[in-house]
Amino acid sequence: MNAAWIGLALLGGALALLAVGRFVWNLRPQREMRGIPITPLEKLGWVGLGVTSFVGLGLAALVVFEGAAGFHENQSSRLIFWALLMSGIGVWASAWAVIKRRSGETVVDERDRAILAGSLSVESVVVLLSLVAWTVTLTEVYWEAGAIPLAYLQLLFWSTLIGGAFGRSLGIVMGYRREIPVDA
Amino acid sequence: MPKDRIANHIRRLRFEHGEMTQQDLANRVGCTRQTIIVLEKERYVPSLSLAFRIARVFGRAVEDVFELVEVG
Repeated sequence: MNAAWIGLALLGGALALLAVGRFVWNLRPQREMRGIPITPLEKLGWVGLGVTSFVGLGLAALVVFEGAAGFHENQSSRLIFWALLMSGIGVWASAWAVIKRRSGETVVDERDRAILAGSLSVESVVVLLSLVAWTVTLTEVYWEAGAIPLAYLQLLFWSTLIGGAFGRSLGIVMGYRREIPVDA
Repeated sequence: MPKDRIANHIRRLRFEHGEMTQQDLANRVGCTRQTIIVLEKERYVPSLSLAFRIARVFGRAVEDVFELVEVG
């Protein structure tokens, strides 16, 4: 039984690694897209990747040091998390204001909007993977207890929200670096 | 069904119109300079409205700026 679960976990891990590898591979600028200056929305995508990584890693560090219950009960931990989240949103909004001011007359055009719409699929995949990981992990860990501690609800919400924003930023950056279909 | 691609003469028309810069054209049609660059590289097919706006800037019909090329 244990061997089957370990095998399943290894397979899941390998598939996740493959998916991450494919994402990273898609981030490279393809030959035809090299030498094109970065657009305002792409700059915002990179800022989003940085901010969501920073806030997400901060949340993960707090949970590792405090534990899920500790994070839920300790007010100072929650305050640190809120400070991280607010500073992340502040950095993102300020970066967008600066990018807009330094851009040409048109900041976002039809091509940017198409890439933004396409980035939703990456966001959906990240959100779905996050929910699957939480559901499988919590079910396995708390199956015997028959109940899941309330503390995990907040973590599930925040990690999915931050993961979704990370996925959206990743989708934007990928959209500019992939070859755009030229078929009529 | 044959595969088609949309070719364009934007780069040539820009130079015929007083060496108009990509940024000037972008400002006049309401898009970013990066979109003009990918259009000239034929890595992006514009919407009909953008195609019409570009053609109007050059005082040409859309089919004088863009053409359908059969590939294979």
